[in-house]
Amino acid sequence: MAVPLPETLATPAPPSLPSLVSSRHLRAQRLGRTLRFWVPAGFLILMLGMCFLWPLVYKLPSPTNGNIIYNNEAPFSPGHWLGTNQLGVDQFSQIVYGGQVAFEVSAATTAIGMVIGCTIGVVAGYAGGWVDAVLSRVLDVLIAFPALVLALVIAEGLGPSEIHVIIALSVFAIPAFGRVSRGATIVVRGLPFMTAARLAGTRGWRIIARHVLPNIMPGIVTFSLLGIGIVIILEGALDFLGYGIPLPKASWGSMIAQGQQIMTAQPEYVLIPSLFLLVTVVSLNMLGDALRERWGVR
Amino acid sequence: MALVQQIQLQGDSGARGSARRIAGSPVLRVVGRRLLSAIPVLIGVTFLTFAVMSTLPNDTAQAILGLQATPGQVAALNHTLGLDQPFWLQYWHWLVKVLHGNLGTTLEGGSVNHELAVHLPATLELLAYALVVSLLLAIIMAVLAARKPNGIMDRISLAISMLGLSTAPYAFAFLLIVVFAVKLPWFPVISTSLGSTPVSWFKALTLPAAAIGFGLFAIYTRLLRADIVEQMQREDYIVTAKAKGLAPWRVLIKHALRNSLFTLITVIGLNLGGLVGAVAIIETVFQVPGIGNDLLTGIGNHDLPLIEGIVLVFALVTVLGNLLADLAYAVLDPRIRYGSSTS
Amino acid sequence: MSMRTACIAGAAALVVTAAACSSSSSNSSSNVSPTGSQLSSQPTQKTGGSITVLESNGYSGSWSTLDPAQNKEGAATQDYMTAIYGQLFELGTGGKIVPDLATGYSFSPDAKTVTITLRQGVKFTDGTPFNAQAVYTNWERDLGPIGIKNGLNPPFLIKELPAPKGSPPGTPEPPAPGAIQVTGPYTIVVHQSVPNGAFIDQLFDSIATWIASPTALAKDPTGFGQNPVGAGPFEVVSNVPNSQLVVKKNPGYWEAGHPLLDQITFKTVGGDEAAYEALLANEGQVYENMSTTDLINESASHFEVENNLGTSPYDLQLNTSIAPFNNPKARQAIYAATNFTPILQHLFGSRYPVTESFTGPGGICYEPTVPGYQGYDPTLAKKLIQETGLNKVTFQLGTISIQTAQNAMEALRTEWEAVGLHVTVQSWPLQGLIAAFEGKKWQSMVQTAGAYDPASGVGVGFRFNSQSPFSGVHDPKLDALLQNAAGSTSLATRCSYYDQAAEYIAKNYYGPFYFTFSPANISVHGVGGPGLSTPLASVAVVPTIPWEDVYYNPGS
Repeated sequence: MAVPLPETLATPAPPSLPSLVSSRHLRAQRLGRTLRFWVPAGFLILMLGMCFLWPLVYKLPSPTNGNIIYNNEAPFSPGHWLGTNQLGVDQFSQIVYGGQVAFEVSAATTAIGMVIGCTIGVVAGYAGGWVDAVLSRVLDVLIAFPALVLALVIAEGLGPSEIHVIIALSVFAIPAFGRVSRGATIVVRGLPFMTAARLAGTRGWRIIARHVLPNIMPGIVTFSLLGIGIVIILEGALDFLGYGIPLPKASWGSMIAQGQQIMTAQPEYVLIPSLFLLVTVVSLNMLGDALRERWGVR
Repeated sequence: MALVQQIQLQGDSGARGSARRIAGSPVLRVVGRRLLSAIPVLIGVTFLTFAVMSTLPNDTAQAILGLQATPGQVAALNHTLGLDQPFWLQYWHWLVKVLHGNLGTTLEGGSVNHELAVHLPATLELLAYALVVSLLLAIIMAVLAARKPNGIMDRISLAISMLGLSTAPYAFAFLLIVVFAVKLPWFPVISTSLGSTPVSWFKALTLPAAAIGFGLFAIYTRLLRADIVEQMQREDYIVTAKAKGLAPWRVLIKHALRNSLFTLITVIGLNLGGLVGAVAIIETVFQVPGIGNDLLTGIGNHDLPLIEGIVLVFALVTVLGNLLADLAYAVLDPRIRYGSSTS
Repeated sequence: MSMRTACIAGAAALVVTAAACSSSSSNSSSNVSPTGSQLSSQPTQKTGGSITVLESNGYSGSWSTLDPAQNKEGAATQDYMTAIYGQLFELGTGGKIVPDLATGYSFSPDAKTVTITLRQGVKFTDGTPFNAQAVYTNWERDLGPIGIKNGLNPPFLIKELPAPKGSPPGTPEPPAPGAIQVTGPYTIVVHQSVPNGAFIDQLFDSIATWIASPTALAKDPTGFGQNPVGAGPFEVVSNVPNSQLVVKKNPGYWEAGHPLLDQITFKTVGGDEAAYEALLANEGQVYENMSTTDLINESASHFEVENNLGTSPYDLQLNTSIAPFNNPKARQAIYAATNFTPILQHLFGSRYPVTESFTGPGGICYEPTVPGYQGYDPTLAKKLIQETGLNKVTFQLGTISIQTAQNAMEALRTEWEAVGLHVTVQSWPLQGLIAAFEGKKWQSMVQTAGAYDPASGVGVGFRFNSQSPFSGVHDPKLDALLQNAAGSTSLATRCSYYDQAAEYIAKNYYGPFYFTFSPANISVHGVGGPGLSTPLASVAVVPTIPWEDVYYNPGS
């Protein structure tokens, strides 16, 4: 999928100067800002709760084994909130457990990307010189490397599994974070207080930890929210092709792939997972935007 | 802007004084540097691919000898073909062959060069179609939106681009098929052949290009719009132009847009790499006869030479995209062209 | 021996209306003809025009070469092969053997020697004359090193060259000199070493029935598979493997007034759904072998659905040479653990008849129930699973990546896991499936077995003969039974041997059978021809459409 780079994620227009605006307008703006944060955040909390907490509270039907006698049930049938598919597997369970997979994989991938990628990027951005040159080339190689091919080959060679998907997608996440953090570090490095700190004799690690990291963190966090959304879509793509989470384990991508085989007859098998996918990623993106707005990240 | 600085700093990081003196013109310097740095990237990517694919079982010898071959015969052929060597050695031989223009033979006996020659045009055409159309539409939408920030057009553009950023191409493709190919028979369901007329070409590639392009359109619109808005509100030269009495539209298009395009061009180049995945999937869904489709079949068949060839092509496209973007940037940006205090 | 009768009651299907009963005769092996339904009104025949035939990606839509001796996908690609090469004999409506490029055959009294008479005055599209020598050249390739290398050599029961020392028993070798003889410009004789009355039936859909131009083969042996030259009703215009094949009318075709169509485009599509959408959008006129029940029901309201009677039951192959299914009790456990009735009902709308052997209602020797067949018995299943330790291992269940097969596999897995088995599922497109078989590590596979005549190449031997690379069974006793079944020219004798074979398979639990899948061929209004508007028995799985008799009359 096309990846929006951090530099391209711009804020909505900055608010007009307060002195020229009525207090009613101000209140409306504040309300808008609050809504823009809490609506997507709320959705995400709902989704996370549904996927991770609800199965603990309520025993859901199996997401992999269904009773063929109850196949093709329509949504809102008794016992099956979203109906069942051709094999009798409960669709809601598949959404819930598929959601678990989506969040787990994207969180893990983003975490790995953040830790490793930011390390590389900050070091490269801070050190400069040949260190930067070498590390930048490494990042370039990783970006040019088709993560999809990697994922497919790993799945073919070693068998598909959640861990393999995470490894493969990390190859994509690491350079993304690397680039962001490198760019942000370079910007911060040029600021006056940094020169002051260096002149005062503060050691490199201290500077990085106390000055660089806190300053780049807002940008990194907002980027990571977008990153989670992208990884969810990518993971879905792998499942769609059959190289991600192995069947019969449920995943949104494989639900779409199987649903499309019968789309004209039963469109809901494609629509339901697609809708959940869309809502999740839109919420993540909107949340990222709202945070960027709040923290004034550019 | 962050990006300008980044590009300039990237350009700075590798050069040494003597090279700078020798190279002369700043544009040539940037070009040379970028070309040089592209080579290790290509090598790195293909090497990594080889390394990863050494995990796949190599069926070449068995496929050549056929079903009745004994394990002894397979081992012998493996040795003759050098397939039992460690992967870095095999990579070296492959590299040497590639530099002579030979990409090897596929598992089924055809030449990889031939496969690529037959299928690459479709993929390139699809990519070009998607890029060009999404770029044009993005420019139009961004300009309309930036004219009045927070106005109606702006809100619409933000909503649409939010959707575009968040849809999965593979899900979107089916929506497109159901609406525009089945319910409204405007476009074909399967794009197996691109036809011989421009009309059939357009019809066959429009839906796949739209599936890929929606995401691209979203990114470009957001970037362009934000850039233009920022320029309109912050940059001094805009204020000057307005003070001089130039019409707002003219200012927008002749000045702000042109400058914003620099950034956009860079982004387009950098984005190219991530399109590999989207292209492969969309080609499968629409049965477009391109190399993405080939890649998936090749992986399923463990056809290592084919996979390597296609990965090389994609890596080339990515690197070239980066290169062209940097070049365009370097050539168009007067600060770089005429030298500046930081370079 | 009792006469075989098969009566098919109309299933719950929407379109099958005719109940057909048939009877067999005992003097020829193939004029039994249970028939499917006929469309209520046939479109008027018309000459000219072109159609697009959609082929499913996972099966017939995948081809790499059209050279008969190298075409591993074989019967799956029959559409292309018969369009380009025609056949020696065709299996026609009513189960009759129809002469095409061959005009007749005769068996010696001991059913060992077959003499085939070829049609005179036929030319390949490159001008080369079609004669016995051309057929001989082809069979030499098919039975010789090229065919052997590809695992394809047709199982002619002829004397072969001695195998080199140390080869495992049963290694195929090229024919010994004299085993096949050209006795005249248009006669070729095959000297079989054992009696085999099924020889002609075995030719259907086997590579030996597709005769390529020897001149073209000699001129370009490696490229021939991409630019094939035959003497069939059509010749190749363009060929993009796995994607699209365009053929146009062969102006020199032997049958005057045929083919009726000017051009056919074969296009690969992703599957039943993609084909259905393409048909709706008028991007194709024919789609064969639609298996998704829901889509078949949908198709009935827009298109013509021709339900042909099936000849190839779905069966579960168990690999008896490796664990865990080298243990007969483990295999019995699988039999006892499978209840196919609800699957048939809910997944397939009860469209298809259940069967316990490798025969189907569309073919000869149909036997739906087999004495001694281990049926569903969950208590016994659990007991056997404990005994054999089958619940402690995870075994793999594979199939072809067509939605219907995958769904059936999934449903089985669910049933089995309910009795304590652990199963991983895997599916491949055709080429990958072939490779999986060749790798010999597969444990269980859901496939189709059986053909119009169980003795033919893709019939029973394919799945149960010790020589076949696609078989999980290596039992000389079963080989002998099948050989005897093919050996006679008396249908009654043959069927009795097949009955014994089915019982033997059931007794050794070599693999349960499920139901006979009957292919639904979908075409738009106005398409006519055998298998599309009139029923045609399948040689194996899908009927072999004689493209020279297909026409398209949109107006009617």
